[in-house]
Amino acid sequence: MAIEKDITIEDLVEEYPFSVKYLADKNIKCIACGEPIWGTLEEACKEKNFSDKEISEIVNELNKLANK
Amino acid sequence: MVNIKEVLNKLGITDINQGVSTGADWFDTNGKLTSSISPIDGKEIAKVKNGTLDDYEMVMKKAQSAFKEWRLVPAPIRGEVVRQIGLELRKYKEELGALVTLEMGKIYQEGMGEVQEMIDICDFAVGQSRLINGSSLQSERPQHRLFEQYQPLGIVGIVTSYNFPVAVWAWNTALAAIAGDVVVWKPSSKTPLTAIATQKIISDVLKRNNVPEGVFNLVIAKSSVMGDNFLSDNRIPLMSVTGSTAVGKRVGGIVGKRLGKTILELGGNNAVIITPKADIQMAVMSTVFGTVGTAGQRCTSTRRVIIHEDVYDQVRDKFIAAYKGIRNKIGNPLDENTLVGPVIDANSVALFKNAIEKVQEEGGKILFGGEVLEGEGFESGNYVVPCIAEAENHYKIVQDETFAPIVYFIKYSGDINNAIAINNDVPQGLSSACFTLDVREAETFVSAVGSDCGIANVNLGTSGAEIGGAFGGEKDTGGGRESGSDAWKIYMRRQTNTVNFGSELPLAQGIKFDI
Repeated sequence: MAIEKDITIEDLVEEYPFSVKYLADKNIKCIACGEPIWGTLEEACKEKNFSDKEISEIVNELNKLANK
Repeated sequence: MVNIKEVLNKLGITDINQGVSTGADWFDTNGKLTSSISPIDGKEIAKVKNGTLDDYEMVMKKAQSAFKEWRLVPAPIRGEVVRQIGLELRKYKEELGALVTLEMGKIYQEGMGEVQEMIDICDFAVGQSRLINGSSLQSERPQHRLFEQYQPLGIVGIVTSYNFPVAVWAWNTALAAIAGDVVVWKPSSKTPLTAIATQKIISDVLKRNNVPEGVFNLVIAKSSVMGDNFLSDNRIPLMSVTGSTAVGKRVGGIVGKRLGKTILELGGNNAVIITPKADIQMAVMSTVFGTVGTAGQRCTSTRRVIIHEDVYDQVRDKFIAAYKGIRNKIGNPLDENTLVGPVIDANSVALFKNAIEKVQEEGGKILFGGEVLEGEGFESGNYVVPCIAEAENHYKIVQDETFAPIVYFIKYSGDINNAIAINNDVPQGLSSACFTLDVREAETFVSAVGSDCGIANVNLGTSGAEIGGAFGGEKDTGGGRESGSDAWKIYMRRQTNTVNFGSELPLAQGIKFDI
């Protein structure tokens, strides 16, 4: 699996730019003031109160999109 | 048009550049090789070897050691080094300004303006180096002297953003240097080359003056190398971070946990109020620079225009006419006829488009612009037509800062207090402005019941601050102050001293304690 929950948002945005729109639709902001926010994907999700199960689903969906 | 090859040559930028320096010395690293991409054409300018955790540790050790020497150098002598840095920046103003434009996308005039800001703060700091003063106070005890002084603090961590890739470094570094501190700079990963060029420009000055290695440090690295570990590093008493509110909250939490000091320069949601008593022509001309300048990517860019209903149609029509004129001046920012360059990257374009969708979903109306330009000259996909949208202040998208050229027009009725209430009704509090020729309105706006922002201007816009005043904002903007006025004090350790030059031992408050 290419994308793990502990990937930094900085790496996620750079390597998988489609993630910005995907996560924005889930109300998770990856870019603020033009720069990636600090921290991991998991931290960004938890800040928006996503459960561990939901985070796993997000990671799976991101990987599916990455492999398209 | 600027000759890019000549610019890069003169600044010492090569195809592959080292990303770690302790002043004049550069270090070959084993870090990841990353590219700096120009938003102008989407092409690579050059590559940078990023620092590793080992490099970071090496730099921190040099910084610790250098601080022990640098703090002993008299402040005016430290100021002399900063004076020479200012002179060196003057020599390279055009080239460094061009590189700012090339790497960040702001128009060349603004690129040179950014370097001028670096020069200005150096000049300011030189003067300040002879004015680091403390108070002499009156002791309640006989033959006692009570006074306070400011001492060097230590290592200052500096994190800068892409939109002012070098000026913000200068604001912090010039003051930190005269204060006797040493700096460790983490520039934006989008603009590493301007950081490398700046470090190279100052290196001759450092050599000429025998400045110890470790006073002016640069580490180009991702947040996985210089992220939470940098923030939680107890060796750094002061962390100065320019970025988003989201990043600032993380920084505040981590640095606060170890009781470190922070300067946080975070997001803004800056508004201009145009009252019926304004010089409308002046208000529109000034505000347009605030909305479209730097393609809306300044912390102080005007995001909201709060217009009285009596003059709303007039202001709207003049604004649209001005935007129509600008529409033909969007393009390569190195071209002197261009007024609006690209935004930084595809993500910023996506967020611009998202804001346009969201404001309409919430009931807003697009009055002008919003398109992404295509075709010759716009191949990078980063060029957008600045957008004007009618909106209401409570919209979620209006409450958020979108770092792109979209401005929301909000109508108000009644007196200035209603406009001030709208101005203040956002989470952020960086900059604000009011256009009026009425002294009561103007004074109300800057009074205790007026704007709650760190910057409140009358008859000039929200952006384009001078270095002489302290720069910063309130609420979600973070509360830090940089640059002018007494901002230098945060870079120093404040100490209260009492000296007993008598032969008695009187206690304060008259307490008796006879042994």
